[in-house]
Amino acid sequence: MRKILAALLIGASALAGAGTAAAQTGPLRIEIDQGVIEPLPFAVPDFVPETPAAAEHAAQIARVVAADLSGTGLFREVPASAHISKVTGFDNAVKYADWKAVNAQALITGAVSVTGNRLTVRFRGYDVFAEKELESALQFTGTAGGWRRMAHKVADAIYSEITGESGYFDSRVVYVSESGPKNERRKRLAIMDYDGANVQYLTNSAALVLAPRFSPTGDRVLYTSYESGFPQIHVLDVGQVQRKILSSGDGTMSFAPRFAPDGRTVVYSQTQGGNTDLYAMDIGSGQRNRLTSAPSIETAPSFSPDGSQIVFESDRSGSQQLYVMPAGGGEARRISFGKGRYGTPVWSPRGDMIAFTKQNKGRFHIGVMRTDGSEERLLTASFLDEGPTWAPNGRVIMFTRESQGSTGRAMLYSVDITGRNLKPVRTPDGASDPAWSPLQR
Amino acid sequence: MQTGTRISLAGHGLLMGWVVFGAWFPSEPLPSRVQQVALISAEQFEKLSQQRQAPHIAPEPAPLNEPADVQPAPEPAPQPDPEPETVQPEPVAPAAPDPQVTGIPEPQTEPDVPDSPPAAAEEPEIAALVPQVRPETAPRPVDRVAPEPVAPPEPDTRVDDIVQPEVAPEEGAETEQDVQEATAPEAASDRIVTEENEGEDIAASAAPDVSVRPRTRPARPQPQPAEAVEAAQPAEQVQRSEQEQPAAADTPSAVEDALAEALAGGADAEAPEPSGPPLTLGEKDALRVAVSQCWNVGSLSTDALNTTVVVSVSLAQDGKPDSGSIRMLSSTGGSASAAQQAFGAARRAIIRCGAKGFNLPPEKYSQWRDIEMTFNPERMRIK
Repeated sequence: MRKILAALLIGASALAGAGTAAAQTGPLRIEIDQGVIEPLPFAVPDFVPETPAAAEHAAQIARVVAADLSGTGLFREVPASAHISKVTGFDNAVKYADWKAVNAQALITGAVSVTGNRLTVRFRGYDVFAEKELESALQFTGTAGGWRRMAHKVADAIYSEITGESGYFDSRVVYVSESGPKNERRKRLAIMDYDGANVQYLTNSAALVLAPRFSPTGDRVLYTSYESGFPQIHVLDVGQVQRKILSSGDGTMSFAPRFAPDGRTVVYSQTQGGNTDLYAMDIGSGQRNRLTSAPSIETAPSFSPDGSQIVFESDRSGSQQLYVMPAGGGEARRISFGKGRYGTPVWSPRGDMIAFTKQNKGRFHIGVMRTDGSEERLLTASFLDEGPTWAPNGRVIMFTRESQGSTGRAMLYSVDITGRNLKPVRTPDGASDPAWSPLQR
Repeated sequence: MQTGTRISLAGHGLLMGWVVFGAWFPSEPLPSRVQQVALISAEQFEKLSQQRQAPHIAPEPAPLNEPADVQPAPEPAPQPDPEPETVQPEPVAPAAPDPQVTGIPEPQTEPDVPDSPPAAAEEPEIAALVPQVRPETAPRPVDRVAPEPVAPPEPDTRVDDIVQPEVAPEEGAETEQDVQEATAPEAASDRIVTEENEGEDIAASAAPDVSVRPRTRPARPQPQPAEAVEAAQPAEQVQRSEQEQPAAADTPSAVEDALAEALAGGADAEAPEPSGPPLTLGEKDALRVAVSQCWNVGSLSTDALNTTVVVSVSLAQDGKPDSGSIRMLSSTGGSASAAQQAFGAARRAIIRCGAKGFNLPPEKYSQWRDIEMTFNPERMRIK
């Protein structure tokens, strides 16, 4: 017996010794599973003017690039006053040590030249600590009046290379501009750059307008107008500011329109005989197809990016909830089960999430959830938040926030889908019902 | 004489001696206990006995809310709530001033939030049996999310990893003093704070913050034929360096090459297998913490946050990483593009925090010259 025990002990110790020896072979291995989340410091010195007329644009473009990146909350600009190196030539070697010293982890340099009315912008990005150039070196040429778009494109390229997500800076937002007191508010459609610049008005304020929505290519806008006294859907060509009514039948109210991803079909709500259901209409032929036939109110439809499903809100269960059904109609599946009422669902351009408005205990929230209703996350909370719309890359949400009281004013806000970086979007007047365009081409 | 008889005689002799001569060695008497008693009369005893009787219970309870009849307790002067936090909030100091951009919507200034109460002043005295609970404070919306929350620094404080008090030259001082700017770490929160959960108090709990799960032992790579490895690589999107590609070492030419390299004092001769005592757990943890502090996943895409990358790096004897040696060995969970973003963040972490050299024991250099770091962002995803 003693011999057996001794043999076992010797065997065990031999195994342990072998294990230790094995652990010591090869390189040291460690696992890092805790990091930090903070804005990445970057530097954008003023772009180098290569012609005398380009000096003003060279500085302006650098500022817009910096504002775009900083505005995401993912980046933080190292101020020019802290720069050690000065970039005097676009092709000069970068002094990485100087940029490391001010902890700039990314560096963007550029050059601008003006020939007649043609503006040319070149830029390069650098990973300072890796001491290597990014692959996003590009050159843009356009009219001098389009310098902001070129700046947005530079920022999009840098953002995309560093984060791995597509950009959203070269995009526009259509919204309802509001002016006048609350009981006599004048509303008209307006369009602007995503950051609030270049505001232009698409309609006058003679008739109430609601819920504008971009087409998948960004060249047309659907909206609801009360021009005839009851709500009707209009489609407007953004480039030519020409509009026409989408006929949905006499004496019926139609509203909450949205394009299908193919741009040829429109899904919307129509009230007939006191019942509101969802319909799909082929824009070319005007042919309608009824998608729901419940006695409850179905509205706010939104297509999935692949066009196979529609998410919408309905009170068929007794309270306002979110449902998903096939694009051609059919059995709907409820996806919202939390406390409160859910509305205005919008499918993310990535297809992985649905943004919504939630009302609970007298507060309004903008939230996101997976397309099966799981992982619900509320991003905001206020007196009145509603109407979310996704940035083209599915990373940021813009929505309407209205303040309380008789002097309450509607404004546009944006928030990252993490719930961070909540900030207002500056507009000349009050603003509501934003709809984000796809990236411009 | 029998042994028993001898023992008996000796015992009896001792006993008799103790009886006869014991009184010659007086021992001190045991101290007597004295208890003071008070004499009471029979009447007093009767009164005491009556007080032990059960109190009379009224058939119906008296109304409870009779503030008029109740003598207000001498309450201390009503302490206002920790107003300083709300009345004089300290701004959440960003590390660097926001860019001044004209004509561009300025980022919203973060709402002022109450500062966390000074922990030292309010830490209650807790009995030994009560487990000490880490005081949880309401989360603050700050730019930085780190494992350890950091209170916002004073307004005129420069952001630095090291805390240093401000030293200003005294007027009229005879000796020259070095002027030193006050430094403090950047404000940080240990979670992402949204408008929805801002200000939420978290119930203090005695439960541990983190439940450490037993780690599974990494599977050892199985030797595979070269063809199988090459076929599997595109599917798994595994990027391996050429040196780690399992070469066809069994071919005669490979053997000859290896022999020639060994004889010539090649790479293997310069890089022998680690020998000597391994790094202690504490030394490994210190290295892990050092890299973690610079591993910033804030600018990574959601796809990259689902990607785990294994990165190899060689260190010099002073603990500084060789930038050229940093390579991605493998990645799992995301696309090739996401793996590149994740690798970029890992590389920046190694270079930035290793710029002054990692604090590793020089005598164990052979143990930490080559390191494989696995960057696993699972705990850093949006929660």
